[in-house]
Formats: sequence, C-alpha cells, structure tokens
Amino acid sequence: MKKYLLAAASLAALVCIGGIASAGDIAPGKSLDMVLLPKFLGILPFDQAHKGAEEAAAELKNGKKLQFLGPTPENSVAGQIEITTNATTQGVAALMLSNNAGDQIVPAAKAAQAKGVKVVTWDSPIPTSEGEDVFVAQVDFNDIGKVMADMALSTIGDAGGKFAVLSASPDAANQNAWIAAMKVALKDGKYAKIQLVDVVYGNDQSEASYNQANALVDKYPDLKLIMAPTTVGIVAASKAMQDGKLCEKVKVSGLGLPSEMLAYTKNGCAPQFALWSFVDLGYLAYYTAYGLASGAFKAEEGASFHAGRMGDYKITKDPTRAKGLRILMGPFTVYNKDNVEAASK
Amino acid sequence: MSAVARLRSWEGLLLVLLVAIVAMNVLRSPYYLGVTNIANLFQLSIEKIIVALIMTLIIINGEIDLSVASVMGLSACVLAWLHQMGVPLPLAIIASLGSGLAAGLFNGFWVAYVGLPSLAVTLAGLIGFRGIARILVEDRSVGGFPSWFNTLGQQPVFGPVTASIVIFFVLFAIIAVVLHGSALGRLVYVIGNNLQAARYSGVRVKWVKMALFATSGLIAALAGLLYAARLGAVRGDMATGFELDVITMVLLGGVSIFGGSGNLIGVGLSILVILNLRNGMGLASITGNTQTSVIGALLILSVLVPNMTQVLQSRWKGRNT
Repeated sequence: MKKYLLAAASLAALVCIGGIASAGDIAPGKSLDMVLLPKFLGILPFDQAHKGAEEAAAELKNGKKLQFLGPTPENSVAGQIEITTNATTQGVAALMLSNNAGDQIVPAAKAAQAKGVKVVTWDSPIPTSEGEDVFVAQVDFNDIGKVMADMALSTIGDAGGKFAVLSASPDAANQNAWIAAMKVALKDGKYAKIQLVDVVYGNDQSEASYNQANALVDKYPDLKLIMAPTTVGIVAASKAMQDGKLCEKVKVSGLGLPSEMLAYTKNGCAPQFALWSFVDLGYLAYYTAYGLASGAFKAEEGASFHAGRMGDYKITKDPTRAKGLRILMGPFTVYNKDNVEAASK
Repeated sequence: MSAVARLRSWEGLLLVLLVAIVAMNVLRSPYYLGVTNIANLFQLSIEKIIVALIMTLIIINGEIDLSVASVMGLSACVLAWLHQMGVPLPLAIIASLGSGLAAGLFNGFWVAYVGLPSLAVTLAGLIGFRGIARILVEDRSVGGFPSWFNTLGQQPVFGPVTASIVIFFVLFAIIAVVLHGSALGRLVYVIGNNLQAARYSGVRVKWVKMALFATSGLIAALAGLLYAARLGAVRGDMATGFELDVITMVLLGGVSIFGGSGNLIGVGLSILVILNLRNGMGLASITGNTQTSVIGALLILSVLVPNMTQVLQSRWKGRNT
C-alpha cells in the first residue's frame, strides 16, 4: 500500500512538474498588434530578422499583420523615437526594438510601457535597461571570443603561426569586447602555437578595410590569417587576398554573412567564418514579445517559455549590464564550404 | 488683396494642402485627433521648428546658416560635459547657451565683417562645431540629469502642452512682430532684396547680419538644450542632419532661397503641413524611406510650381503680343 501511495505521489509530482514546465507555453491565435523596429532599413541582417519574425507570426497565427517599420540610416535616432511614439499612440501590444539610440530612447520607451506596450529589445539593448522588458541577446560576448580563437586555431592548423585582427572602428564597443574576450581565450594552453601580432581598424568601410588587409600582409610576411570580427571587414579582407592571389598563404576568418561570403568560402580564401542567425534572432524576439503581450509569462527572472522550433528559453539577469533582463539565444553557427551555400539563400 | 488672389498666393496653396492632409489623417487614423497625438506631433519635431523660426529671418536676409544642427549638438554636449564634471546644472545651462551665442558670433563675424559667403562659413561651422561636440563627450552617452531638467523636456506644463511647445509659440509671436512690425524687420527684407542698395543707403548691414547670426546660434543652443531634456541623454551625434529639415520647412514656406521675400505665416503653415504629413504617415505605418521621399517631392514641387507658373505666364504673354 505504501508503495502504491509513493508511486501515486511521485506520479502527482511528475504531473505537477509537467504542469509547471508547460506554464510558459504560448497559446497561438491571439490578435496582437506588433511592431518590429530595426536600427534602420535597407541592410540584410534586419531583413533576415524580419523574415524570422514573420515565420514566428505565421506559426503563432497572430490575427494582426506584423508591422516592420524602420527609420532611414541618417535619421536613425530621431526616427526610432518617432516610430516608438507613434506605436504608443496606436496602442500596439508589443514593440521589438534593435536600439540604435542608446539611452536617448528611454523616455519614449518608458511612455510606451506606461501605456501597456511590451518593449522587447533584440540585437542591441537599451544600455540602462530603463523602458525595456527584456533583451533577446544573440550570443554571449565571451562565446564570441572563444569561437574566434577556435576558428583561428583550426584555420592556421597545428603547425601554428601568426595572425592579426582587422576590426571595425577603434571605439566600437561590441567589437572591442569580442577582441578582449578572444585575447582571454587565447591564454589557454591549446592555443599556444598561434600568435596574435596586431589589431588594425578599417572603420567598417570597404576601401579602408581592403587597404588595411594589404598593409598587414606587407608588414608581416609570414602572416597566416586575418581575423575580421565585422561583416564589412571580412568581405574586404577576403577580396584583398583574392585580388593579390594570396589566398593560399593568408586565410581570412571572422564574423560574416553567408550570402556575402559564399564565393570566398567556396574558393578557399575564407574557409570558415561564424555568425549568429538573424533569422533566428527575429524569430525568438517575436516569440518573446508575443508571449509577454499575451500574458503567457512575465518579464521576470526565472520565467521560461517554449519558442517553437528553437526550443525552451529562460529569462535571466543580464550579466553584461548593471541592470536588466536577458534571454540568451546562442549558439553560433560556424559556416564552411559544406553549409554556406544553403545559408546564403 | 481679394479673397481669390489670397487663395492663389503661396500661403493659400499651403493652406489648401494643410486642410487636405488633415482631412486625410482624420479619415485614415482614429488616433490622429487625440489630444496627446496633436501634442506629440509638435513635440517630436519641436527643436527643428524652433530653429526654423530664426532660419526664416536668416534666409530672408539673403544668407543661410548650415551650422544650426551642429550648434544644437554642441550646446547639448557642453551641458553634458559640464554636468559630468559636477558643475551645477543652471550654470551648465548658461554656459551651454553661451557656447551657442559664441558660435553664432563666430559665424556672424566672418560673414558680416569679413564678407565671406555664409554658405562656406556655416558649412565650416557645421563640421567644426560638431567636432568640438564629439570631442567633449567622445563616443559615449551622457545622462543622469536632475529630474527637473528631464521633466522640463518630457512632461506637460498644462494639459498636454510641454514647455518646449510654449517656447515655440512665444518665439513665433516675437519673431512675427520683429519681422513684420519693426524697423529691424524691414531692414532684414531690404538687405535681402538688394544688398548694395542697402549699403549705399546707410543701412547698418554688418550689424543686422551679426545680430541675426548671433540670435541663430543662441536659439539653436536653446533648441539643443530642449532636445537634451526631451531625450534625457546626450550623444555627440545629436541632431545630426537637422539643418536640412529646418531649411526644408523654411523653403516650403515660400521663403526665397535668394533672399528678400517670404513671411512667417508661410513658414508657420509649412511647418504644420510637414508635421501633419509626417504624423499621418507615421500613424499609417509608412516607413522612413517613403516619408523622406514624399517630403522631398513636396519640396521639389515647392520650387517648381512658382517658377513654372512664372515661365508659363511669360510664354503666354509672349504668344499674345
């Protein structure tokens, strides 16, 4: 009898656990007005995020059409504030923001929250986290450093050798954090044979990056690899090596978009590079915003939910900011000649 | 002027356009007529429209001030820089207005006393003042101002009306009186119409130009402060590119880019046209690129229509004689 009771109790416990686990399940079919607001319109990553958000919208059968609204690049800050204010006036249910206005967006975002709009940031958060419900982060900055170190090691090979970093601008906060993380990762003994000799800056401009890549090869005749943690730099460096017929000697790696890197990965100039998927980022941001707006879960530490094909996610404190909550998407996708073609479409 | 002639004037045209836009907005969006939305409509562009008022005088005077947006950025950055160093905010505000006045006097000196073209002088100002602004706050965002300062930019003082909106209407009234009801205003037109004639008839051209540029710097600095208060944080790139929006408002208002003609009523109407158009497009979820194109098309029309009618009229006359 005791055994039965025990079994029944544990069964009940299991059911309970099951019940808790499904508490974050998001019910589809609600009609929620939602706005996806990128930094600005007209570049590929944001179009990919839009694609992912539309995919999520279709899965969740939202009766309202997703609004994809963005400012022009030269009017990004004022434009983002204007769109946020107009969305508040319209009384939308949720705003998904890739913030380009720093803390200047705070008053507008707070006003939105005061009218019941859920504010989910993705790609780029609000630094003080004021006016923001939760930030959907692409990857952990430390992971980026480790992935770059691993790509450097596997591209250069066991024989070892020298490599240099071609970054964006000297004061780009994200790139600097990634390079710093890579330097920490490189201290591990398994990277002993590869040596970082220089960090140069192409300011995320094609021509400047192209010239910097050539200058690196001149300066270090035995350079084996250029690591460019910027989508502009990696393409420029690959083109420089290809034009100089140097691809056999100096490889390129870093963070790049599959569609822009396809040719260079195929011809061996850049055998592997990494990036997170912006499609997935848009998809996850949509699930998060829809879930919050429909009341499936709250923006608080420990809340968890199921985001369709991407699985389960949990809200935690954001270790990269003083305050604020984060959902960490991860992981990286490393692209090589086997998977780059499929991803470039 | 008969009622028909008034309607055929540029201001009449703008009024018709404004009525059409407002009607369209009312029909298309249930949110448009909300009191908060009407206040937001002004508030979202308040700094630009404040600067447009003084820009009207500058352009009628036959000059241009391309540095206004950089002066806005400079004044905001001076404020942020001093605030970070622990200077009490009222003092920082005075210093920040002072930086704008200094920038304006600098422009005015080269234009009025040295006789350089304002296009070149203020283009240099556009680059130089922005440079100083960026040096002061570097690549950071400076916030944490006292709450009374943020409240000033964000909270309404009565009803939905913010302090910035009050300042705009007060300035509008003052500048209207100066331009259309004072001796100084007549001088602004006279100089803009014919600089040589004005000089020979003993008008204090240098003094008038100096005063206009100094006021422009001061008002731009005030607008920069209001912008900082509205956003609650300052960056070195604040208000970048705003000068073109400001000049657009003035030109669409019927002010001739060659100086000498135009009035503040036209500019007031043009401001209402642009603001209502932007707001309507925003509420209709039309994206930034399309909005920019529509306003660009409007400006092209504003230049084309008056010139085309002149050309057509003269051809018509030519055919009949």
